[in-house]
Amino acid sequence: MLCEICNERPASVIFTQETMQGSTERHMCERCAFQSKMFHFDPNQEPLSIQQFLSNWLGGSEPFQSQQQAKEPLAEGPECPECGLTFRKFLDIGKFGCSTCYDTFRERLPRLFGKLHNGHSTHAGKIPVSFNELFAVKKRIEEIRLKMQEAIEEERFEEAASLRDEANELKRLLTDGGGGANVN
Amino acid sequence: MSIDNFMKNSVTGWMSSHGEHSDIVMSTRIRLARNLRGRRFPIAFSPEEAKDVDQLITEALLNSEENGYSYMKVSALPLLERQVLVEKHLISPQLTDPERHGAVLLSEDETLSIMVNEEDHIRIQCIYPGFQLDGAYEKADRVDDYLEKKLPYAFDEQFGYLTSCPSNTGTGMRASVMMHLPTLTMTKQINRIIPAISRLGFVVRGSYGEGSEALGNIYQVSNQTTLGKTEKEILSELKNITLRLIAHERRSRELLMSKSRLALENRLFRSLGTIAYARLLPSEEAARCLSDVRLGIDMDIIQDIDMTILNELMVFMQPGFLQQYAGTELTAEERDIFRAKLFRERLEVGDKRLKEEETGE
Ligand SMILES: [Zn+2]
Ligand SMILES: [Zn+2]
Repeated sequence: MLCEICNERPASVIFTQETMQGSTERHMCERCAFQSKMFHFDPNQEPLSIQQFLSNWLGGSEPFQSQQQAKEPLAEGPECPECGLTFRKFLDIGKFGCSTCYDTFRERLPRLFGKLHNGHSTHAGKIPVSFNELFAVKKRIEEIRLKMQEAIEEERFEEAASLRDEANELKRLLTDGGGGANVN
Repeated sequence: MSIDNFMKNSVTGWMSSHGEHSDIVMSTRIRLARNLRGRRFPIAFSPEEAKDVDQLITEALLNSEENGYSYMKVSALPLLERQVLVEKHLISPQLTDPERHGAVLLSEDETLSIMVNEEDHIRIQCIYPGFQLDGAYEKADRVDDYLEKKLPYAFDEQFGYLTSCPSNTGTGMRASVMMHLPTLTMTKQINRIIPAISRLGFVVRGSYGEGSEALGNIYQVSNQTTLGKTEKEILSELKNITLRLIAHERRSRELLMSKSRLALENRLFRSLGTIAYARLLPSEEAARCLSDVRLGIDMDIIQDIDMTILNELMVFMQPGFLQQYAGTELTAEERDIFRAKLFRERLEVGDKRLKEEETGE
């Protein structure tokens, strides 16, 4: 079946819309679904039932939410400041719009990844070299901080001061030479 | 164009019949999904962002020491050529969507293709003939290392490589082997094997798309899990599964041979007859017969046919190739006629031999 909006790409997202007359199905490609505004909450519009759309993507295993909760605007979940995707829409389309989405939905993702990846939610594979270097610097700063703490407790203040300078030097490296890498 | 010339110009690296266990494993594919930091994914980006991303990646690669990539903007390609790239498995059907501003960079031997602006900004793909998971991974990994040095990747400590689809998050790696499993299919054992494999975090699919019927008894086995396991672990698990499937298939072949040799030979030779002499050859029938003939060659029942020719025919029987060879668009019936003609010409060996026998040489 073709997407009913662009009539070009295959419809891979099915929205079920509840209206007073009953429910209607809308078939769209993921791209049109992403761009469509019709699933943002509008107080004049009958809301979709949250179960339907979780069941679309999570195989119906989510606990049922009360009708009351489903009508609250909160049900949309956080909205990504970069691409405008809400968590709710993400569940329906099944795609992130940008890498900031991962930060926006961070707390909710481990559960979801667990379902998709045989219970796993943390990366264990390759790390880009540039990130590896940053991790190493971060770890080094952590070590220096511990030593500094010890030095202060043992009142070796001169050593503590030089350790502090060393740590500051490394921190500067992180902010200047890190190429803006997002490591916190 | 003569058929030999056409084939020569169209055959790509992975279609040859080399590589380990190449009788059962037809090809190995590694795909790595990567995205650039600070840019929206193709599903959400604007045409300007798309062009930007395309330019960044292309420049990084075309100026690389690993030379020899050719660059193709998908929207600039005639429809038929796009279809041929899809049929060669060098680009995905999604990349042909004009709104994605997709492009592809192809290595000379076409074992490596880098898709730009598919579902993710970058998809590095390496296809090798036969069973070569480590080799294919190493090659894709090297391109990844190279690109990563030049371009800032979207990567996260907790989630790994950030991709548009949550099913790729983590390693971003999809490793797959394409296997010919005719006797596991004939004996219906495959129906028990598929669910067992899916419990291990791997999937088995029929070769042409998502349909339930595996065309030509060809299956693709690939990892479903990309989080929580290293690339090495995924590859070694897939290797084990593949080796077990190979052993299973071999055992069923031996069993069939010892229990019903005549029936088997009858079926395989009838299929050879069909592809060598048919005047109308629909694609399902062509795929089924090719599978039989391939099995016959593997089991030494059918001789004098080069496996590489069968591999080529597997690819060339598809609509895009047929029309490219014909040099014109063809209706479904015309395609069946043309497919039969192509098969006859390509399998001429059999014809010649018959003629030689008739003239008593
Ligand atoms: Zn659409
Ligand atoms: Zn976003």
